[in-house]
Amino acid sequence: MIEPDKFQQTFARLEGEVRKVIVGHDDVLRKVLIAFFAGGHVLLEGVPGLGKTLLVKTLSHALGISFKRIQFTPDLMPSDIVGTQVLAESNGRREFQFKKGPIFAHVVLADEINRATPKTQSAVLEAMEEKQVTVFGESYALSSPFIVLATQNPVELEGTYPLPEAQLDRFFFKLLVTPPSPAELREILQRTTGATSDDAVTVLGNDGEEVINEMKQLLRQVLIAPPIEDYVVRLVHATQPIAGNGGGPATPVKQYLRFGSSPRGAQSVILGAKGNALAEGRVHVSYTDVEKVIYSALRHRIILNFQAEAENVNADQILAEVIKQVPRN
Amino acid sequence: MQRKSDQRVRESPEKLITGLMTRLRNHILWDSLWVFLPPVLVSIYLAAYLYHAAWITQTTFLLASFTAVGLLIIGVFMRRRPPSVRTAAQLFDERTGAKDRFITLATVEPSACSPVLFRRVRQEAAQFGDRVDLKREFPYKMKRSFYQSLVVSVFVGILLHLFLPSVQSSIHPRPVQERIRELAQRMMQRPRLAEIARDLQRVASKLEEPKASQGEKQALVEETRKKIEEQNREQQEQQDRELLGHASSTLKGLDQQSGQDTQKDQNKGEGGIQSDLPQEGQGEAKQSQDGGGNNKGDLSAQLNKQTKEGKSAPGDPKEQGSERNQQNKGDEKGKQADSSKSDGNDSQETAGKTQGKSGETGGKDKASEEVPRGAPPAERFYQAGEKGKEGIKDARYVTVQLPDEITADSKGNPTSVRKARESKDRPKVPVSNVPLPAHIPDAPTETQRMPLEYRGMIR
Repeated sequence: MIEPDKFQQTFARLEGEVRKVIVGHDDVLRKVLIAFFAGGHVLLEGVPGLGKTLLVKTLSHALGISFKRIQFTPDLMPSDIVGTQVLAESNGRREFQFKKGPIFAHVVLADEINRATPKTQSAVLEAMEEKQVTVFGESYALSSPFIVLATQNPVELEGTYPLPEAQLDRFFFKLLVTPPSPAELREILQRTTGATSDDAVTVLGNDGEEVINEMKQLLRQVLIAPPIEDYVVRLVHATQPIAGNGGGPATPVKQYLRFGSSPRGAQSVILGAKGNALAEGRVHVSYTDVEKVIYSALRHRIILNFQAEAENVNADQILAEVIKQVPRN
Repeated sequence: MQRKSDQRVRESPEKLITGLMTRLRNHILWDSLWVFLPPVLVSIYLAAYLYHAAWITQTTFLLASFTAVGLLIIGVFMRRRPPSVRTAAQLFDERTGAKDRFITLATVEPSACSPVLFRRVRQEAAQFGDRVDLKREFPYKMKRSFYQSLVVSVFVGILLHLFLPSVQSSIHPRPVQERIRELAQRMMQRPRLAEIARDLQRVASKLEEPKASQGEKQALVEETRKKIEEQNREQQEQQDRELLGHASSTLKGLDQQSGQDTQKDQNKGEGGIQSDLPQEGQGEAKQSQDGGGNNKGDLSAQLNKQTKEGKSAPGDPKEQGSERNQQNKGDEKGKQADSSKSDGNDSQETAGKTQGKSGETGGKDKASEEVPRGAPPAERFYQAGEKGKEGIKDARYVTVQLPDEITADSKGNPTSVRKARESKDRPKVPVSNVPLPAHIPDAPTETQRMPLEYRGMIR
């Protein structure tokens, strides 16, 4: 098993290499890496042109693992993603051979995932959850490590198919990519409009996959105290708009939520907190780790009701209230 | 050597947490003690106060004190809740900024986690622990509950301290003789007042004598009072004057009360007032009695008890008042007493009024309950002062008739002699203030009839 210090060094180097290309988005980058080492998938939400695709490409390059990009469109078919049987001739005989789709890569970028039909979207579901695809009754295992980084545009919703809750729940984190600050924008301009530009260097060598798997194992071994686990349980439970939860009748949870987080939310919070602890050079989870990752882990898992949408209340505001209401001890 | 150092490091954080737990336990113990101590001390103080005031016996005092201490101990132990390891570790993390290392170390099961990672957490925690001095980082501070308990206890203690003496005096009133003796004792300490002090002691002894007649007692009181007043006039020193004034007012009250009671007794059997006036008169009489001073009630009760051999009523607590009242109003009361003594008839009137009115009260109550059946309806519409079939409407009058016995009694009793002498000028016929009928609407309610000899002349 890899040493915690080595994990931290590798993590920091990966962040550094990606930062050579990507300006800003430090939090997004860290959480993408945490999700990667935790074995989860990430949904990136932001308007076009903020560097989402570049971020993913650079990351895969820094990791030194295979990368595929799928541009989701309304006419995209499931076979375009998972692959299909084609008639091929070999040794004088014609036979069906499986032609692997773009899903067979370590890092898959599902660009504008909400533009594909639900049928095509659901083709990704099995791959995300089971780490395998089934074509014509035959299952094919996906390579490890495997991560799907999906992007979606929150503005142009015409002609889109919003992801169903079941599919959203399969994403480890939902990260909001925000526009850069003026200083960051200046830096972006300097890097991209000049004569030279830096490229990310591959951090992991030939044994990259092995190192990544070791790092993933280490992440799961990070210590977490039972009181902190209790805290996570209480937080996730507090998102349920059920009777007797959250005290009075006018709590934001009861007022604005239709459904609370699933158990997958709690799993994501704990694994995310562990990843964050390792990234900060600790081998134990603290309360602050939990509070740092809870927004990314739960914001797409709580379902807002009509009133919340009408009053322009978003999931992060409700989660902030939940954190305020649930005591640490 | 390396192993030894590792061992030291490994044990260090747990020891720190245990040490902190012990410290927190002691803090809780102190907190409980400080919360319960003020009320217990106040309770013991009050018990001691009651013991000194002879309200409770020594055994009761000791029992109360031990009970209070026992309750203190029980309270402290009941409130004592040892802090959990988790609480101590969390406190350590907060104070040292160890980012939950101590709580992880204290709550994680070592066998269920990676030993490498656990050892690392322990080492890190030990490094944080080395910077901590338990005494400095976790000093004992008085909690707010102690201050609240202290304030409430002191407040209650002061209230009871102020309130208990008045309760004591109302429950156990001191007899006059005791007060006179106390005054005498205080006067004894001053050589100039020694003679007066002896006189006062004599008065006190006289008052206690069951065989001594009321007249003798009153004469002695009067004589002593005069002496005191004379001495008071000559006295220059402020403190002496105060003492003398106090004694004088006490004796005045005694004298006045005895006089009033004598009159009351006389009027009770013989003197009479026939009156149909409403109840105000009774109220006045009662008020004048109350205004007479505190000592009057109990003094008169005592004097009467001794003189009348069970005839008179016992001292009513209502008639008792504070000494201060008496001191302040001493002169006024003295005057009242003098006037009551000098004008025997007046006082008889007052006393008689009281009696007559009380009789009237019964009659009036009876009348109010009766339904006017026999009288024609027109009778009720007569105006006040008009003469109806049954006499003058709403006629109010007071007729005072002197008892014949007063004159006879005056021969033996010196007080009665004086009263009889003073009442020589009074008419021997009943005196009445019955109003004349008002025939003219605007005429005054009371008109005087013209003497017969002048009628012809004016016409």
